[in-house]
Amino acid sequence: MSSRMLPSYTRSVAVIATIGLCLGFVLSNARLDTYSALLPLFEWMETTSFGVIGKTWGAVFATVEAVHLLAMAVLGGSVLVSDGRLLCLIFTDVPQRQVQDACHRLFVWSLLLSIITGVFMACGVAIKVYYLNVFWYKMLALTVGVVFVFFVRRPLLRHDIENLNPWVLRMVAVASLMIWFSVAATGRWIGFSG
Amino acid sequence: MKETTEPQKTSDNASKDAQLAAVIASSVIAVGFVIYWTIQIQDMLEMLALAYG
Repeated sequence: MSSRMLPSYTRSVAVIATIGLCLGFVLSNARLDTYSALLPLFEWMETTSFGVIGKTWGAVFATVEAVHLLAMAVLGGSVLVSDGRLLCLIFTDVPQRQVQDACHRLFVWSLLLSIITGVFMACGVAIKVYYLNVFWYKMLALTVGVVFVFFVRRPLLRHDIENLNPWVLRMVAVASLMIWFSVAATGRWIGFSG
Repeated sequence: MKETTEPQKTSDNASKDAQLAAVIASSVIAVGFVIYWTIQIQDMLEMLALAYG
């Protein structure tokens, strides 16, 4: 049998390698070393124009925060609709491809907007969030969510969705809901920790 | 017997790979989610017990 006929599992191997690297990072001293090394960056963030504006003009911070929350709401809505469709709970009369493509476009724009506004907000309270554990959990959940969407979920849905195993689609939808629920909940928690 | 063309085989293999990667990533996320929120809820229950007995 030709080696070209064997299934090539490069994406699966890449996922396993990434999980291994992440576990290695979390369980080793590299995590603490990186945490210490990031303190000067957060101190610098407070001295930037964004940091000064965020600390000086509360109204500007509140306005940006409102945009951030709106972007997060749109992002959450796009996740709920696309995962609800994958679970065959909503919009069952609309083709999967149409729902997934529309939701992904919305997701990308709302993610960009929430990251831009989030960076501005973090600059205003950089030292405070640096010492908050929940901030780092949110960053971890956000990173996992973004990697999951662009390197696992989206490549999977580029294939003919009707020919994919429905249980795999359900697993992906549930995992996606879990990760974005964690992002939203930890984000709210940062607000409570103020 | 129906013959499958080379591009079709490549597409099938890519689909299998994407599905396996999705299953692995989803399983790890689900396990991580359960562990993280179980620990957080237990910590919160302990704090409530300390505060209100």
